[in-house]
Amino acid sequence: MTRPWRMAALAALIAVLVIALTPYLWLFMTSIKTRIDALADAPVWAFTPTLEHYPKVFLDKGYLPLVFNSLIVASVTTALSLVIGVPAAYAFARYNFVGKEDLFFFFLTTRMAPPISVVVPMFLLFGYVGLIDTRTSLILAHTTFNLSLVVWMMRGFFDDIPREIDEAGQMDGHTRAGVFFRILLPLAAPGIAATAVLCFMLSWNEFLYAFILVAFEGRTLTVGIPGLVTPHGTLWGQVAAVAVVATLPIILFTFLVQRHLVRGLTFGAVKG
Amino acid sequence: MFLTPSVVLLVVLLLGPFIYMVGVSFTDLNYALPGRDGSFLGFDNYRRLMRDDPVFWESFRTTLVFVLGVVSTEFILGFAIALLLFHQMQRRRIVLTLLLIPMMLAPVAVGLMWKLMLQGEFGMLTYYLREIGLIGPQTALLGDHRIVLWTVMATDVWEWTPFVTLVVLAGLLSLPREPFEAAIMDGANRWQVFRDITVPLLRPIIALVLLLRAIDAFKEFDKVFILTGGGPGNTTELLSIYTWRVNFRNWDLGYGATCAFMVYLVVLILCAVFYKAVYWTEGRVQK
Amino acid sequence: MTVAFHGVSKIFGDGTVALDDFSLTFESGEFVVLLGPSGSGKTTACRILAGLEQATGGRVEVDGRDVTGLPPRDRNMSMVFQNYALYAHKSVYENIAYPLRVRGTARQDIDDKVRAVARLLQIEELLKRRPRQLSGGQAQRVAVARALVWQPAICLMDEPLSNLDAILRLQTRTEIKRLHAELGTTFVFVTHDQEEAMTLGTRIAVLNEGRLVQFAAPKEIYHHPSTRFVAEFIGRPAMNTLDGRVENGRFLCNGLSLPAPGQGDGPSVLGIRPEHIVLAPGSGAATFPFRLDVLELIEPDMLLFVTHDGLSMTVRGKADAADLKRGVELHLEFPPERLHFFDPESGRRRP
Repeated sequence: MTRPWRMAALAALIAVLVIALTPYLWLFMTSIKTRIDALADAPVWAFTPTLEHYPKVFLDKGYLPLVFNSLIVASVTTALSLVIGVPAAYAFARYNFVGKEDLFFFFLTTRMAPPISVVVPMFLLFGYVGLIDTRTSLILAHTTFNLSLVVWMMRGFFDDIPREIDEAGQMDGHTRAGVFFRILLPLAAPGIAATAVLCFMLSWNEFLYAFILVAFEGRTLTVGIPGLVTPHGTLWGQVAAVAVVATLPIILFTFLVQRHLVRGLTFGAVKG
Repeated sequence: MFLTPSVVLLVVLLLGPFIYMVGVSFTDLNYALPGRDGSFLGFDNYRRLMRDDPVFWESFRTTLVFVLGVVSTEFILGFAIALLLFHQMQRRRIVLTLLLIPMMLAPVAVGLMWKLMLQGEFGMLTYYLREIGLIGPQTALLGDHRIVLWTVMATDVWEWTPFVTLVVLAGLLSLPREPFEAAIMDGANRWQVFRDITVPLLRPIIALVLLLRAIDAFKEFDKVFILTGGGPGNTTELLSIYTWRVNFRNWDLGYGATCAFMVYLVVLILCAVFYKAVYWTEGRVQK
Repeated sequence: MTVAFHGVSKIFGDGTVALDDFSLTFESGEFVVLLGPSGSGKTTACRILAGLEQATGGRVEVDGRDVTGLPPRDRNMSMVFQNYALYAHKSVYENIAYPLRVRGTARQDIDDKVRAVARLLQIEELLKRRPRQLSGGQAQRVAVARALVWQPAICLMDEPLSNLDAILRLQTRTEIKRLHAELGTTFVFVTHDQEEAMTLGTRIAVLNEGRLVQFAAPKEIYHHPSTRFVAEFIGRPAMNTLDGRVENGRFLCNGLSLPAPGQGDGPSVLGIRPEHIVLAPGSGAATFPFRLDVLELIEPDMLLFVTHDGLSMTVRGKADAADLKRGVELHLEFPPERLHFFDPESGRRRP
C-alpha cells in the first residue's frame, strides 16, 4: 500500500475508533460530573470529578441489591446452561440418530425466538405458579436462550476434537463416560470458558425478560435504568452511574472472549 | 442420556409457553377490563389483527423500514471497516476489540447513552450538530416525528456495525492466499481482484451476516424502548414495542398473544431461510 | 529478450536470508530450471521475478530495463502455482478466460483463444466444469492453460508437479516438454526433483542455501559438477564421494589407492558415479575387493551397496544372470577418466 493511501486508512481507522468509543466515554464522564456540569448548555470536557452519584444511587436509593441480582442470575443461568448443555453438545457431536439435524434446528429456533413472544406466555404461566418477581423465573427465562448458545458453541468445539482421541481413550481403558469426563472436557476447557463468559454477558445485559418478569424484588441492573428516567425529570448523574456499573464488567469480559466471539455470534458457522 | 435434560427443559420452558400463547391468542383474556377471563373467541383476534388494527400494520411498516435501513447501512460500513482492518497489520487485535465495545454493552445502556447525548437542551451531540449547522436550533432529534426514526436507526448503526466488521473480517482472514496471487499474475488490478475474487469467495459470509442482523433487528426492543418508548406518537413503535404495549400497558393479553405469535412467525421464517442458506448450500464455512 | 538477475538478495523480516547475491542471465526460448532442496531460495527467486515478492537488494532486468519495482501485471509473465490456485467459484472456461477478460479482450477473441489453448492441453471437454469437479491432473492442466492463454513472454512454474501422484507426474512432465517445443515460450521452472530438472531444462540453475551454485546445461552439470553439493544432488543414485588425501599423484583412502592425475598433495574428496564403477570378473591389477551388502533390482539394472574396510559405495550395473548373494566378494575397478576431485572445504571442483 502506498504512503498517501496508508495515511488515509489510518486516519479513517482513528475516526472510527473515536466514534465508537466517545459515547461511552461521555456516559462515564456524566456519571462523575456534578449536576451543573452535566446539564450545562455547552458540553463540558474539563471538570472536577465527583463520586457523589454512586453512593447516592446504590446506597441511598438502594440500588445495590440490583447488582447482586444481576450477578446471581447471570451466574446461575450460566452454570445451569453449561451443566445441561455441554453433555447435549457432546451428544450432537459424537452420536448419530434419527432427526439429529432437525433437533439441532429446534435448538437454533429457541435461541432466535423473539423475547417479546416468549415473555408473554411466560408471564402468565409464571404468574400461575407464583414465580413472578423472583430470581428463579428470570434464571429459567435466560436459560432458554443460553442453553442453545451452549449447545451450538460447544458442538463446534467438540467437533474440532478428532474422534481418534475418543478412540484412543477407549483403547486405553476408559468407558464412554470416562472419555467424556476425563479427556474431552479438559480438552474443551477453553471453549467452555469462552462459552461461559458469553452466557454470563448475555444474561447480564438482558433487559426485556427482566423488565417483565422481575419488576421489583428481583430487579437486575438493566431494569434499574428505566426506573430512573421519569417524565418528571431524570437524575442523569445517577442513572449514568448505574449504566456504568452495568457495562464496565462487560468491557473487561470482551477482552477475555474476543477470540471466540465470532464463533458464538454466528452460531458456529464461522470459526474466526 | 446426555441429551434428555436439555430437551426436556427447553420443551417445558419454550414449547410449553409457546403452545400456551397460541392458545391464549384465541381467547379474550384481558387484565384491564372486567369479566374478560379468557373465553374462547375463535379466530376473532386474528381477524382483528388482519383487518381492524392499522396500528399493528403501521408498526410492521416501521419495523421493516428500520430493518432494511439499518442492515444495509451496517453492512456497507461494517464491510468497509473490515477491509481497513484487514490491511492493517499491526495491533489489529486490540483495535478490533475496542471497536467491539458498542455491541457488547447492554442495549438498554446504549439507549440511555444516546438519550443523554441527544437531549434537546444539554445533549452533547445536539450541541455539536447545531454548531456545525447540520440541524436547526429548534430541531429535537428525538422529539421531531419526521426525523426520530432516522435518529433511532443511526444509534443502531453505531451499536451493530462492529458485528458486521467482526464477521466479515473473520471471513477475510479465512480466505486462501493463492487465488489472489493467481489473479495478480493474471493481470487483475486491485478493484478487479476485489470484485472478481474477494466478494464471490465471501458470499456465504455475506449471506450469513445479512440474515443474522435482519433477524436481530426485527427483534429490537431495549434500546428503542429507552430512547423513545415508541414515540413521539408511534413513529418509532417497532413491532416488539407495540406488542409490549398491547400486553403490558393495555393488558389486552388475548389479542396481545396474537400479536406475539405473528412476530414469532416472521422471525421463524427468517430463521429457516438463514438455516437453509448457510448450512445447506455451502456447507460449514471453515477457517 | 534477455532476463537478468543482478546480485539479487532477499532477507525476510525475521532475519532469514532467502537469497544471497543471486545473479543469472537467460534468453528467450529457454527452459530454465531452478533446482535445489527446500530453503535453497529457488521459490523466492521465482517470486521475485514474478513481482510477488520484493528483493531487498540487487535488481532484475528484462532487456536491460530495470523491472524490480514493477507490479506483476506489467511484467508480461504468468505463473502456475503448486496447488493450482484455480478460482473455485468460476467454471473452467472462466478460469482460463480470466487473464483475457481482465485485459478487456473482445468476447470472440476470448472464445477463440480459450478454445485453442484448451485443445492444446486436451481439456476441451472440461470447459463447463467447476474446479471442485476436477482431478489433480486436470486441475493442473487448467492452471497451465490459464497461464498460457494470453501468450506471455515468460511462463513461471512453481513446483507444479509436486502435488501429483507419481504416474501423473511423469505424464505431465512430458506434456510440459511438448508445450515448450511447440510454443517456444520461455519457461522458468522451480523444482526440488533433480530428475525433473534434468529431463526438462535447457539450462539448470542449482541453488543451495540462498546461493547459486552452478548454472549450465544438464549434460554439463552431470559430467562436470562444479561443487561437491551439485555432484551429490544430481543423479540417482547420488555420486559416491570419499574423503581422503592425495600423495604423490595418488588418492589414498582406507586402503584404496587410485591414480589422481594432476592433483596436488593434500586432503581431497574423490567422486565417482555408481554407473561408472566397473565390475571386474575377477581380481586384477587395478581392482579392489568389496563385499556386497545389499542388492536392489531395478530391471534392467541393479544397485549394489558394497563395503570395504569401513567405506560404503553404490555401484550400478546391468542385472545379469549371475546370482549374487549378500556377503559375496566383488572386484571393482575405478577408471581414472571417470574420477572427480573436490576440495574438502569449499567443495569446489579441482580440475
